[in-house]
Amino acid sequence: MKTFLLILLITTSMNLELRAQENIKRFDWDGMEVVWLQDERFPTYALSIYFADGALADHPQRRGETAATLNLLTAGTRRFDHRAIAENLEFYGASYAPYVTHEYSTYSISGLTKDLIPTVKKICHLFADASFPEPQVNIEKNRAIESLTSLVSDHGSLASRAIRELSMAGSAYGVPVSGKIADMKRIQPTHLSQKLSYLNEKVQKRIYLTGPESVLAVQRVFNEECGWKNQKDLYVRAGVEIKIEPQDKLKIILIPVPNANQAQVRFGRFLTKSMTSPDEVVTLTSDHLGSGFTSVLMTELRTKRGLTYSTGAFAAAQRDYGRSGISTSTKNENLAELLNVIKASLKEMSEGKINTDHLARTQKGLAGSYPFRFESSMNYLSQILLLDHQGRDLSELYKFQERVLKIKQDEVQRMTTNLFDWDQMVLVVVGDKSLEKTLKEFGPVQVMRPDSVL
Amino acid sequence: MNKKFLLSIILLGTLVSGCAGNQKKSGEAGTPDAKDLASLELKLPVERIVLPNGLRVLLMSNPSLPIYSYYTFYDVGGRYEGPGTTGATHFLEHMMFKGSQNYGPGFFDQFVDSNGGSNNAYTSFDSTVYYQNMPKETLEEMIKIEADRMNSILLIPLAFESERKVILEERKMRYENSPRGQMFQALTQEVFAGTPYGGSVIGSEEDILGLNRERMLEFHKTFYSPNNAVIVIIGDIDLGKTSQWIRRAFTPLSKNEKLAELKTDYNREEVYRPKAKMNPEMRLHGESPRPIFALAYRGEKLGARRAYVMDILASILGSGESSYFHQNYVSGAKPQLSSVGVANYNLKYNGVFFVTGELLEKTSLPKFKQTLMKDVSEVCIKAIDERSLQKTKNQYLVSYYNELQTNAGVASFLGQRESFFGDYMTYKDELKTYNSITLAEVQVVCREVFGSDDNFFLSVWEKHPKKS
Repeated sequence: MKTFLLILLITTSMNLELRAQENIKRFDWDGMEVVWLQDERFPTYALSIYFADGALADHPQRRGETAATLNLLTAGTRRFDHRAIAENLEFYGASYAPYVTHEYSTYSISGLTKDLIPTVKKICHLFADASFPEPQVNIEKNRAIESLTSLVSDHGSLASRAIRELSMAGSAYGVPVSGKIADMKRIQPTHLSQKLSYLNEKVQKRIYLTGPESVLAVQRVFNEECGWKNQKDLYVRAGVEIKIEPQDKLKIILIPVPNANQAQVRFGRFLTKSMTSPDEVVTLTSDHLGSGFTSVLMTELRTKRGLTYSTGAFAAAQRDYGRSGISTSTKNENLAELLNVIKASLKEMSEGKINTDHLARTQKGLAGSYPFRFESSMNYLSQILLLDHQGRDLSELYKFQERVLKIKQDEVQRMTTNLFDWDQMVLVVVGDKSLEKTLKEFGPVQVMRPDSVL
Repeated sequence: MNKKFLLSIILLGTLVSGCAGNQKKSGEAGTPDAKDLASLELKLPVERIVLPNGLRVLLMSNPSLPIYSYYTFYDVGGRYEGPGTTGATHFLEHMMFKGSQNYGPGFFDQFVDSNGGSNNAYTSFDSTVYYQNMPKETLEEMIKIEADRMNSILLIPLAFESERKVILEERKMRYENSPRGQMFQALTQEVFAGTPYGGSVIGSEEDILGLNRERMLEFHKTFYSPNNAVIVIIGDIDLGKTSQWIRRAFTPLSKNEKLAELKTDYNREEVYRPKAKMNPEMRLHGESPRPIFALAYRGEKLGARRAYVMDILASILGSGESSYFHQNYVSGAKPQLSSVGVANYNLKYNGVFFVTGELLEKTSLPKFKQTLMKDVSEVCIKAIDERSLQKTKNQYLVSYYNELQTNAGVASFLGQRESFFGDYMTYKDELKTYNSITLAEVQVVCREVFGSDDNFFLSVWEKHPKKS
């Protein structure tokens, strides 16, 4: 039966590869690379403009410049104010939003194909003429600052923001891509104009596009109205080698918030490039630990003990670095028990005490979930974009299923130590100040004010 | 219609096909190629089966990827709970994953996870919905498992007690430690006070602690019957075989002969009518550093023409950066809020229409309330014109297409209509209705909504006093 399943899964993988590849085409549009995923099902399109630089390029005193520039493109141009720009794009039913990472940035647009040309013309107008009018910029800055301030009442989001920063503290990757409140206050319209010029003129761009064949007519708009041609020799952020100093023991941080009867718990670890390879072992290990309703953590924390409503583990990489983490919550009285169960679960996995049948089920599940990666065109396109950014071949995506099925148990054991070593992680708890006493059972506790991560 | 419902009002042509698969050309028979809402034409090749025991099943084939989505809608929700048993429906939803007669504890989750699928469920005031996204070769077994847990569940005491703790944790996360959750719960409890919608889907802590397995078994026996369910399966399925498997697994299940009589009692329209005018204002203490608020008005029940008009009204006023309230309060020259939204939340027998937002630091809550009340008296003239109406219809068209990208989207779309209205094809009327709504109609409804003095202003803020 097992052999049959293996053959079935691998055959599925081969069929999907052939069928998927047929729909992907790469073009050179006057020196700009374009990836088109053909999708004739609906009269709709989705596209992402990829910029080969991200938040790492931001000025040290003005972190978040790239994100602010792309977010405030719609603040105004010499011809149109914010209201007119938003009204025009929304009239088409278009969606538009930037996404900035430390290494690269994107600006994504989607809507009806019949409105693609006028929508992209408007977007090109924004890239060419955005003037970042000071009154509108100040309104939007203030709004962003207020939203961050309110994060203190959203304990889960506050904990997630904090663990990202604190687990990568000291590195450029630890700073949030949108900056902190102090950064936001320092960013002025002139800085945004300079950043926009940089993105327009200096940084290499690619287009990732999905939709029916008619969407290819947008070439002229990108080349002529955005003026984006001959991208080949423009700047691409170079890869860097990251070094991480090992810790002696788990670093524990408590962020107290008033009147909380539940603790939000986050573990995180900063990873080097070599620690996040091979990616199929990374994914299998984190899935086995904390993905789905039968993962190790879900079983131990929720099913057996009722300690939490949800828990999850993840590990993911960009090009030069990665992150791993565990996320959960529990009522104050149960915090010590929850942490002890997590610690014991990690210890067992890293010592190789892995239930063979359970791991085999996770492995089969991960391989079996493969076709879902292709169900949404935009999701498929995002995977291609990330592989391109990482400099990896597309075939890696198609071979994933096959590679997952070959993983051995000792690889998962080693990867657990790589990704989820208790002593090498940072633990952030957002909750009542009384939790400090509980946390001290696990080591020295640093108490930080919520606004220190905002 | 509530936002979730609205977003799923979508059209699909022959199929939702995965992008890796063979894709039909736009304009071919069955595929949508509409330029606007008016020209949308849907051809959904759904096979509808009704078993002798009343179970309704919708099947549609989409062979492009070797996967399927399986939805089960039970016509039971929080509104069927009596005093002292709030949260019972939701608790039962959790217990449905904890073992049935032929598939013991843990089997369901193991089956889904080990095959690479995903699953979950949700409970509302009106319904309980279970869904799985799975590889195609698992379908026959999945049908058997679903039939088994419809027939009987174990409710093993140990698992029951463990799950009680899990639900209390969920309650802490969603409501007790979330000012927004706290506000939404208080809002529905005030608006629907004295009606079956005036409770709480997750339940009060006291009630959750008091629920027992005997009561839950009774609840399961009453409402988890085939004549109270709709199954939708969309994906790479063989229609003939699937139909056979469904008949084999579900036909032996007995219908609840008393259900119709029971539901007639539960569904008397008069019990859902408001019992009194709403309190004009309520201030709740919550850990929000800036005041958050909701201004609520009486809404409309699902499916009424007026409910569709209110959808459009809500979108014109609060959807997107160019919407009237966003420009007025958030992005305009004198901003007072950091965020604003307008929602039209429709339930099967009642509804609520509300404006919600968060104040900026320098905005005074009493002054803002005054401004808002004045603005809503003028908004019907200032905000609604032909362009904003057309913009909204354009946005709906895009939403429809986006929702149909996956098997799950289509299954949810069809199942909601079959479950709520008894006919999945009501989407045709819905589209016609949306398209036929005129400017004058939106303005009339706008005046009716905001002209009513039966409204309720609720705010949550850390500076509001705690109740003693």
